[in-house]
Order: sequence, then C-alpha cells, then structure tokens
Amino acid sequence: MNSLTECYPRPVKTALRAIVFVLAAAPASHAATLEISVTDARGAPVEDAVVWAMPKTGPAPLRKRDAAIAQRDKAFVPLVSVIQTGTAVQFPNQDPIRHHVYSFSPPKTFELKLYAGTPAAPVLFDKPGEVLLGCNIHDHMIAYVYVVDTPWFAKTGKDGEAKIEGLPAGDYDVQLAHYGQAVAQAAASIRLRGDETLAQGFAVALKPPVPRPQAK
Amino acid sequence: MKLRTRSNNRLQHRIVVFFVVLLIAVQLTSFLAIRYAIERTAQNSLRDEMRVGARVFKRLLDQNSQQLIEATSVLTYDFGFREAIGTRDRDTITSALRNHAARIKASGMSVIDMEGKFVADTHDESNAGKTYPHPDMVKRAQLLGRTSGIRMMGDKPYQVVVVPVLAPLPIAWVAMTFAIDDGTAGDLQRLSSSDVTFVRVGGAEPQLLATTLPPSRRAPLLAQVRMLIGYGRDGVSTHLGDEEFEVLATPLEDTGDLRIFALLQRSVSEGHAPYLALQAVLMFLAAFALAVTLFGSIRIARRITRPVAELAEAAREIARGNYNVRVNPGGDDELGDLARSFGGMVHELTERDNIRDALGKVASTEVVEMLLRGQIELGGEERDVTIMFTDVRNFTALAETLTPQQSLSLLNEFLTAISEVVEAHGGVVDKYLGDGVMAIFGAPVMRPDDPERALHCALVIRKRVEALGPTLAARGLPHPEVGLGMNTARVIAGNMGSPSRLNYTVLGDGVNLASRLEGLTKRYHVPIVAGSRTRESVPGIVWRELDKVRVKGKTVAERIYEPLGREGEVGAADLARLARWHEALEDFRSRRFTSAHAGFEALADERGYVRIIAIYMGYLRELTANPPRDDWDASFTLYDK
Repeated sequence: MNSLTECYPRPVKTALRAIVFVLAAAPASHAATLEISVTDARGAPVEDAVVWAMPKTGPAPLRKRDAAIAQRDKAFVPLVSVIQTGTAVQFPNQDPIRHHVYSFSPPKTFELKLYAGTPAAPVLFDKPGEVLLGCNIHDHMIAYVYVVDTPWFAKTGKDGEAKIEGLPAGDYDVQLAHYGQAVAQAAASIRLRGDETLAQGFAVALKPPVPRPQAK
Repeated sequence: MKLRTRSNNRLQHRIVVFFVVLLIAVQLTSFLAIRYAIERTAQNSLRDEMRVGARVFKRLLDQNSQQLIEATSVLTYDFGFREAIGTRDRDTITSALRNHAARIKASGMSVIDMEGKFVADTHDESNAGKTYPHPDMVKRAQLLGRTSGIRMMGDKPYQVVVVPVLAPLPIAWVAMTFAIDDGTAGDLQRLSSSDVTFVRVGGAEPQLLATTLPPSRRAPLLAQVRMLIGYGRDGVSTHLGDEEFEVLATPLEDTGDLRIFALLQRSVSEGHAPYLALQAVLMFLAAFALAVTLFGSIRIARRITRPVAELAEAAREIARGNYNVRVNPGGDDELGDLARSFGGMVHELTERDNIRDALGKVASTEVVEMLLRGQIELGGEERDVTIMFTDVRNFTALAETLTPQQSLSLLNEFLTAISEVVEAHGGVVDKYLGDGVMAIFGAPVMRPDDPERALHCALVIRKRVEALGPTLAARGLPHPEVGLGMNTARVIAGNMGSPSRLNYTVLGDGVNLASRLEGLTKRYHVPIVAGSRTRESVPGIVWRELDKVRVKGKTVAERIYEPLGREGEVGAADLARLARWHEALEDFRSRRFTSAHAGFEALADERGYVRIIAIYMGYLRELTANPPRDDWDASFTLYDK
C-alpha cells in the first residue's frame, strides 16, 4: 500500500505500470498472456482503453487488490481505473483544498463530502459496470472507473498497448471499453492454451469530445 | 366713367391676382418639397428606429435565452437536484422539478434520460417513459453542451432550454420551458418600443402565437404574414386595417416545418406625429402669409390705381381748360411724387397764363419762384419804382462802318451786357427799344433799396461802357457813349394788353419823365440824368445839379441831377469845381446874373463843364435880351422830344 502511494507523484504511466506489475506478479504456471493493441478509426494508438478477459467457464476467482484514485491539481489521478468487483478504493486528496467526490452511476453511488487527506474508509465497488466520478465543487473534475467481474484486466498506455498475463488456459470473452467510444464493442471470443501469448487487436470508434466545464 | 373704373379695377385685380398666385405657387412648391422631405425623413427614421428596435429585440431574446440557460444550468448543478435525479424516483424527481421550475419562474420542467425518454415532466406527469417530442433539441444540447429554442407544445409556443445534468458527464437532460404569451410580447414591447407579434408559419395556416396588437389589427396582420416575412427582413410598409404600419420580421426558428417569426410593428402615423405637428405649423404659416399677401396686395393695388385714376381725371379736366383742379398728393412714394409734380405742373400752367410775360422778363430764379408761388401780385397796382432808360448814343454812327450782321451782333452784345448788369442789380428788363433798354427796379418784386440798386446799376453800366471804349477803338470803331435816364416815381404795374397778348409793364408820368431824362443826356453831354426823387432816395452819392426842367403841361419844374460817383470816390478838384458850379448856379437862379456869368465863365473850359456852361451862357444871353418875369423859376421847359 505504502509502496504504491509513494508512486503517485510520478507520471500516470508509471502508476499504470505499477498496476500491471502487480497483476503480472501473480504466480501462475502454464499461464497464457494476452497482448492487446487498441487503435482508433485512423489507426492511431488509443490510450486509457480498458480490456478485460471474462472466462466463459464459471466465475473468475476474486483477487483482493488495493486501488486508489487521488485528487491532484484539481484532477482525478488516474483518469481511468479498472478494478475487479469487490475492490475497495482509496480517495487520497493531495490538494491543499477540499474535494467532494461523488458518483451517481448505478453500479456505485456514493458521496465523500468535502474532505481533506485520505478518508479513513475506502469505497467498496461491489457491482460491475462503469462508474463516473465527479467533484461537486469542481465541475470539470471527472474520473472513470470500470468495475469488472474478473481479475484479468489491463489498460492501454500511450502506445495503445496493454498486456494481460497469467491467464489460465480456457475460453474467454475479451471485452474493451473506452470512455470516449461511440458504440459498445462486441466481446472478442478467444481460446487460450497454456504458455501461449496471444495478440488481440481492437479498433474503437471515438466520439468527438463533448463540451465540458473547464478548469477554473 | 364706367369703362375707366373697370380698367382701373382690372389693373388692381391683376396686381392682386399676380401676387396671390405667385405666393400660392411658391408656397405650394415649398410645401410639397417639405412634405416630401418630411415623409422621407419620417419613413427613414422610422425604419432606422425599427432596425435598431429589431436588433435590441433580438439581443433581448438572446440574452433572455442565455439567462434562462444559465439559470437552468445552475439548477442542474444543484447537488440535491442531482441526487434527486440519481434516486430515479419519479415522484421525487417531479416534485424537485416543480420546485426548481418555480425558482426561476419557468412554465414547466422535464427530465429526459439519455435515451431521449421523459423521466419526469411537470406539464403532464403521464408523459413519463414516453419519448421526448423534441429530440433535435437534445441532440443540439449534446453537441453544444446546452441549447435554447422555441418549440410548440400544443398550439402554444415555448422557449425551451435544454441543459445536461452532469455527474460529471451528462446523466440526463433537463428541458426548462417558458411560455411565450402576450405578456412576453408586452415585456418586449416595452423594451423595443414596437408592437411585438409572434407568428408561426410552418403549418398550413399561419398562426398568431402572441401579440401586443389590439384584436382589430390581428386579422389583417395574419392575412399578410407570408408577405411580411418574405419582404420584411429590412422593414416593409403595410396597412393593418385603416392604419399604415412599418413591419420588420425577425426569424426566431426557421427549421423545416417549424418557422416562427417575431414581427415588430410600428404605426407610421405615430412615427409621423411630430412631423405632422410641423406640417400643421407650416400650413398655418402659409395661410397667414396668404392672408397678409392678399390684404397687402389689395392695399398696394389700390394705392397705385386710385391716384392714377385721380390724375387721369384731373388731366382730362385740364384738357377741357379747367385749371381749377386739385390733386391729392398722397404719400411720400413715387406716386405721391407724381401727384405733387402734377399739381406743380397744374399750378405752373395756371400761373404761367398770368405771368408768362413777367416770367420772360426776369432771369432771377428767386423772382421766378416768387411769381410761381403767387407771392407777387400781377393784377395791377400802384407802386414806387425806379425806371431806367438807356441808349447807346452813337450806335448809328457805329453801325455805318459795319455789315448788318456785325452791327446786330454788336448791338446784341451791348444789350446782353446791359441786361446782365440790370438783372445783377435786381432789376428787370422791361423791353428793348431799338438800341436802348427800359429797365424797372421795384416791380414785379419790390425791395426797399430799389432806387439805390438802380443808381448803382447805372454807374456800373457807365463804367462798363467807358471800359469798352479802348477795346472798340482797337478794332477801329468809334468810342461808344451811353445815355442813361432814370427816375423814381409812383406808377401802375401789371399785365396790360389784350388777353391773348398780355404784357407786364409799368405806366405813368414818371416813366415818361425817365425817358425824357434819357433824352436830356445828349443835351447836357452827360452819361446819366436822374430825377430829384432818385437823388433823394439814394444817399452817399456826389450829385451835380444839372438844371430845372418843366415837362410840358406840368406846373412843377423838376430838378435834374447827374450822379458823379460815390462819396469818397470823387476827386478833390472835381468837388471844388462842383462847389463853384453850384455857387454859380445859385447866383443864376437868384438872378444875380452878373456874378453867375462870372462863375460860369470861370468854369467854361473845365472838363465836363464845357457843354453845360455853353447852355447856361445861352440862358444868360436870352435872359439879357428878354429879362425874366417875376414868376421866373429858372426852369427850362421840355417840349416834345
């Protein structure tokens, strides 16, 4: 936990890698690797796309992992998070001002009224789905949390690449989500054998950005 | 007479008609020009005002919708409101909507979900779950973040504002509605100072949505809506009922079959009202000027024609020979001047009939004026005058050496010179008698010093003629001599003769005597012989008594004198001689013939005495031969000339 929080001042990418590292560190023998590559309609890499693999055979095992979404310089860091259902997320406020974090999204509706520092109780995300976070006193602040029913997930970096490791052999539905996507992507059905590394590409159609409140 | 009056009236009428027609033409022209300018100005300023009004109106609408958007946005950011939406509890949401709509005085408020379906609607709660009827508005809000427009709900127009409920991305849309009704139009009318009408032309029939117009004008406006929208973007004039209006059309919504326009109307006559007042003032001024011109031109015409008619009548009277007409001189203008000149002419003609001869005799303008003014009586009266006869003595001898033309011109030269001297001394030349002149001092103008003037005149003539001598001698002509006889007497002065040939002159013994005295100058060889009354009347003169003469038929003898010159101008030797002469004359008259003879003899060779001594020596010889009787008065009897 502490080692993670120490990472926060570093760029987002580092944080993402940390998460990937944690995921990849899980011991697994005969595990397959899924290499994801996401591009937009013009073939440019898409950052912050979330992918997760849902085993077709039975529920996936729950792996308890810590997660945190910080508020820094009146912005949520990271902008996009992906977590397994049942994860408790910390909301450390690193700004000298208070924030009022809320969500009206059906998977998780909550409100952290004006606070400073890190609230004692983390917020438990117990239903899968997309959760939008906002700050009641800073209209421009936004964060996306994808809550998925699988421990096998990843988020693309600037290069549009993501890697899911330690997948047991089997059939999976690989799903992709991006906050800017115009339409929901159909899941890609794949079969993984042990020790296999499979490359899977996705092309997403992105919406033009909608007008949003600007930081003041 | 009737004809004359008519012609006068015709001139008068022509003057009046000319001025009045001229004024009317000028006024009509200027009135039309002003009216045209006024109408143009009024129309333009009205149109300009309308355009400004339309801009203000559009701006007001924009601001209004902007304010509604902001107000609605503030509501949707309200955390409580968002929480209420988040509950998905319809009753709670509807209640919250009512509360929030009331906060900003909206007519209604709806929440639409991301699928374009009503979550809740205050207009009609049963709408929940139904599709929102204006998906285009939601789409626009999605693109622009927020939007505003006019939409129909039933047959009523509403300003619809669509803003998202952000959490922090849109989780729903809020549509806030504000009714556009006559009240809205009224508010806008107050701000844009035009009548405001909202119309819809999308459907088959144009529909009047809201207006500030009175009901009577609505139908005509509605009937012309399509034309007004087509041509009224920059303003168009039209009649609504009986009144002209300037109408300006502003599109509010123009998408597909939904076409909503705002029409701004302003009454042209109201816009023209200030100009109409100006026109009324101009009309009044024009009427006033016309009245003044009519009155003035009639007066002027009368002032011209009346004296003209009077003068014409007077002229006719004079032509008939009636001088007894008086012309009213009138004012100081040209006509008055004409009347006065005419009067003067009449007077002059009248006088001239009486005085034309006297006028011929006097050159002095002063005398002429006195004659003309009637200050001198010419009817015939007794008065004291001094009469003078002159004669160029040896003119016949002179003439013999000259051609007839030369002698006549020489004579005229003399007569002219003498006449000038006479007139210079205030006398008048009565007539020319051959080479002589008869002059009168004291008639027709009488002056107290007439004898003196006459005598000085005589002295000047004597001197002039003496001075002429050397000049003529240089031309080889004989020395001229002048004889002047003068006498002062009471005579009759006046116009004499027949009416057709009147002659102003003087008559009487005194006149004859003066003529005789002129004749005596030859006898005594002196230039001037004057009667005793002349001598008595003129002081300051050295006189030499010449003789005592008795005119035939008269008992009283007249002493006659020669003026030698002014006192002081005569030399001492002459005065001494004169004394000796008067002494000898006194001896003679006192019958002391011996001593008289001695006195005469002593003067016999003196200059100027040769002739007179010779005469007196002759008297003495005669008296010695025929001693005088006791009643001898030492006079010499004048017989006929």
